[in-house]
Amino acid sequence: MSLKYFTIEERLNANAWDVDVHRPHIKIVDPEQCRKCEKKPCTFMCPAKCYVQQGDYVVLSTEACVECGTCRVVCPHGAIEWNYPRSGMGIWYRFT
Amino acid sequence: MKFDVVIVGAGPAGLAAAYKLASAGFKVVVLERGREPGAKELYGGRIYAYWLDRYLPEFRKDAPVDRWVRRECVSFLTEDKALTVETVVVEKERTSFVVPLVSFVSWMAKLAQNAGAKIVTEITVDRLVKDEKGKIVGVQSGPDVLQADYVIDAEGVNRLLLERAGIVKKLEPELVAVGVKEVLKFENKKTLEERLGLDEDEGLAWALAGYPTEYLPGGGFIYTYKDALALGVVVYLRNWEKLKTPVYDLVEKLRLHPYIAPLVKGASLQEYGGHMTPVAGINMSPPRFYHDGLLIVGDAAGFLLHTGVLIRGVDFAVVSGVLAAEAIKEARSPSAEDLAVYKKKLRGSFILPQLEKFRNADRLLSDESLFRDLVLFSTEAAYRYFNIDENHRTLFEAVHEASKKTRISLVKLMINMIKMVRNL
Repeated sequence: MSLKYFTIEERLNANAWDVDVHRPHIKIVDPEQCRKCEKKPCTFMCPAKCYVQQGDYVVLSTEACVECGTCRVVCPHGAIEWNYPRSGMGIWYRFT
Repeated sequence: MKFDVVIVGAGPAGLAAAYKLASAGFKVVVLERGREPGAKELYGGRIYAYWLDRYLPEFRKDAPVDRWVRRECVSFLTEDKALTVETVVVEKERTSFVVPLVSFVSWMAKLAQNAGAKIVTEITVDRLVKDEKGKIVGVQSGPDVLQADYVIDAEGVNRLLLERAGIVKKLEPELVAVGVKEVLKFENKKTLEERLGLDEDEGLAWALAGYPTEYLPGGGFIYTYKDALALGVVVYLRNWEKLKTPVYDLVEKLRLHPYIAPLVKGASLQEYGGHMTPVAGINMSPPRFYHDGLLIVGDAAGFLLHTGVLIRGVDFAVVSGVLAAEAIKEARSPSAEDLAVYKKKLRGSFILPQLEKFRNADRLLSDESLFRDLVLFSTEAAYRYFNIDENHRTLFEAVHEASKKTRISLVKLMINMIKMVRNL
């Protein structure tokens, strides 16, 4: 039995979105905290892989965010500011 | 413009309240940040019908139902072994059903609208508005303030508004889990039914422990929609450091597991998502469910019962919405004193008593060795019993060999079993 593995990018492509390019709903408020953060749980626990480690820092891209809110809860330094996206923006679940 | 009641969030809890209040003649508006009701919602896949029959019997008439669950499976899964228990109801019982939550919620939205409630989508509420005495008197979205006599917070598990209003503390990792889910669509429903041995309109609910979460607290799940299958993994946030695979790949690993892959072969990915779920039950609840001008319902109130295999969110949400509506109908004023009747109603219903009853479930379920030991031991013991080589083992021998091989003491297992039987 060999099934093809779907990369996270392929999986996210199945979804419908309306991206708020002007005002991302999540912000890293203090990148220094991320640099000092040893374990960087956001890079491991975000279901949409929005957080990627680059060098000592974390790069956040919110476009494919599924709006679960996990990053904010697992961040040990309170370095993530999380808002509900503006009116109608963000993920649009249709089948779950 | 002033409404009697503003409800934040068009989910099962908010819409149930809207429907009941509008039916009683209240001027109600529901504010929903998504494109349509349900656009921001994700759940495992099953709704229990028992309490809906009592509090929202309309659902029997025309609510969408993909499949009625008549097969319940629980699997202990390892890399290369599985032990599955299945319970089947042969009679055509209708006690729980599978349907996309967005479909159920859009049915509820129509019900509420037909009763006279106004539902406005694409409105993100930023904060609850207080007067100088701290009473909640409305909500704010961007620069706009909408006033109301009563506000019902049905914003869901993230409950940012409650946090900003100082009503709850910031969510702790101990209180929640993250669920990641794939919806896998088959070319036709026949394929799905043949693969899983299901009759027409018959549904399957399946919980899998062990491998899906790398033996950590949480588990995998499968629910059958009409022509699609929901496959997901739930991981407790408090245990994240022990995970070896990033959470976004756990569900793919489960899909490709040799026990699951043959079932989902050829199915295409229709949607991928993630959502947090309360796991601490009553321990996640805000100190109070009622405040001056405010009632809290659904996930935001911690009204979700999680006992490992059985997970109930939607029936708790709907009934809490109905009870909030009844409380407002009976209250003489929006003061906390008058709204305390909501708490009384929660106590008098199944909601608080059942959450109280399972108060310790969370602590037990988050014990890291519990499922790991049980899964590794029982799959090994079953394998040894059924596998015939030069020795044909008695059950006793199989159990002892498994205990030796997995280095899990039988005494510890027994103690854990007793804890589980008592608390879950």
